[in-house]
Amino acid sequence: MDSLIAASARALAAGDPLGALKRVALRDDPPALALRGIAMAQLGDYSRARELLRRAARGFGTHEEQSRARCIVAEAEVALAQRDFGGSSRTLLAAAATLEARADRTNAWHARLIAVRRALRLGRLAEAAAGLAALDTGALPPALAAAAEMASAELDLRAMRVTPAVAALDRARVAAERARVPALAAEVTQARSALEHPAARRLGAAGEVALRLDEVGALLSSGDLVVDACHHTLRVGDARVALARRPVLFALARTLAEAWPGDVARHVLIARAFGMRDPDETHRARLRVEVGRLRALAAGMAKVEATAQGFRLVPHDGRAVVVLAPPIDGDQASLVALLSDGAAWSTSALALALGASQRTVQRALADLEAEGRVRSAGRARAQRWLAPPLAGFTTILLLPAALPLE
Amino acid sequence: MNIRTKERAAVRPAEIVREYGPFAEDGKVHGVTHDGRHVWAATGATLIALDPASGDTVRTLDHACDAGTAFDGRHLYQIAESRIDKIDPATGAVVASIPAPGHGGDSGLTWAEGSLWVGQYRDRRIHQIDPATGAVRRTIESDRFVTGVTWVDGELWHGTWEGDESELRHIDPADGTVLERLAMPQGVGVSGLESDGAGLFYCGGGGSGKVRAVRRPKAPAA
Repeated sequence: MDSLIAASARALAAGDPLGALKRVALRDDPPALALRGIAMAQLGDYSRARELLRRAARGFGTHEEQSRARCIVAEAEVALAQRDFGGSSRTLLAAAATLEARADRTNAWHARLIAVRRALRLGRLAEAAAGLAALDTGALPPALAAAAEMASAELDLRAMRVTPAVAALDRARVAAERARVPALAAEVTQARSALEHPAARRLGAAGEVALRLDEVGALLSSGDLVVDACHHTLRVGDARVALARRPVLFALARTLAEAWPGDVARHVLIARAFGMRDPDETHRARLRVEVGRLRALAAGMAKVEATAQGFRLVPHDGRAVVVLAPPIDGDQASLVALLSDGAAWSTSALALALGASQRTVQRALADLEAEGRVRSAGRARAQRWLAPPLAGFTTILLLPAALPLE
Repeated sequence: MNIRTKERAAVRPAEIVREYGPFAEDGKVHGVTHDGRHVWAATGATLIALDPASGDTVRTLDHACDAGTAFDGRHLYQIAESRIDKIDPATGAVVASIPAPGHGGDSGLTWAEGSLWVGQYRDRRIHQIDPATGAVRRTIESDRFVTGVTWVDGELWHGTWEGDESELRHIDPADGTVLERLAMPQGVGVSGLESDGAGLFYCGGGGSGKVRAVRRPKAPAA
């Protein structure tokens, strides 16, 4: 590396991107391009930064593989900050492997973490969990450890494992403080405070109770039969039966659960599940069929018994039945609740789960997107909907670790 | 010339005798020189002098030092940004400054025969310049990125570091022909180079933050 590159890198590491730019602004050799790209990213011009980093990576070519890999990692990080999820993570993972092969462990971890966070944003939870499990979080430098703990907390929260999520957030806060990156610490605090907001309502004979996320977690692990109207799922402890694609069965289950321990008349069930006011014998026949299906799916959790006037839910082993509903009523709240599992949903899957038309769901999603409460990825038929991330995009401040130098 | 010099000399592995440092957490070593008693290393913002026998740091001078370092018997020369500073090692004061010939693309620096010799990293060349004015007297071409430069017993040696490969090379100052090649181990780079005038070369280790002593071969490999 030469003199001005070293001086420019020194300025960048000291948090002076303008000073760094001043020294290399007129140079077009790959190390100078890389430094200019990182300085531009720190100044917030992401498009220009990515262009410069791509040119630097091309300039380094195959015989300066490590520098090229670092440029690829830096560009991926800027893309994450720019919320651009196009393309695949293959190049990024190849760069990570290159860096690992050259014992550049910090930048390799950094690359893998970017891939994890990218998967998280795209709703590929299994991929994110696998990537995170492969990282040795104990060995990470503080800033990377904070980001890894945030990702781990988000995965836990999406799966409603509240206690490990809180523990991960606490570790993230300690790491962020050690890293001395204020934006990272602020992000951890913000994510922590989100846990204090009402996350759901508990419906029961005694009326409604708003629940915080930790209370929801406690409820889910209590062993009661939870009819989860947020995710359209039946749960007992860790066992779950997803009914998001079976709206009629879920409507039956929810109606029965709301009346528990009492029973529900047939005409009420028909009205709720089929939307029919004046049932005739064919509707009653269909109700028998659908109750039979629900009985089969929920066999491990509860029995559905016929009574004189209708049906009732009888959980196994004398458990209680609880209905968990979104914090407020309405299409929008139901959509947000469904998306809170962190997975990527298509419009048609959402419409199916909510029993609404695709057009209704699209309208509600458009409003929510304008408010920033949902995000979409992809276009046209490949478009998928996601909840906004619990953790933000604080990423750019970690860039100096990826300095393409030496 | 590049084609002609390529296969001329056989590569031998460099024998690393000793490692010093790293001197600071995530510190780098850009340039090294030898003043007869101590080894000086440029670490970015501080020039440090270390005792090669004990490995202890004996002096530090706070001065921007981004690339090569040289010693002419009285003064230190240090590349900082796009200039070469002449420093009085006793006081640390900058006595004079001349522009660097590569306008900041400079890497290695040594003093010999009344001239400063400056390695131009990505330009793959070495300039011989007037230490008073900075005027270029002559240019020697190489076929690798040039890092450190040094003279010992009339032999011109320079470091190369390109990608993962790093070597010490003995070249003919007249036409740039490569006479000897010492290959550093995989992943070990040479950022600065200086001989102690006897049997050792001191090499800056770049991002590793270390200074390494490498044994100078006894006789040129025929």
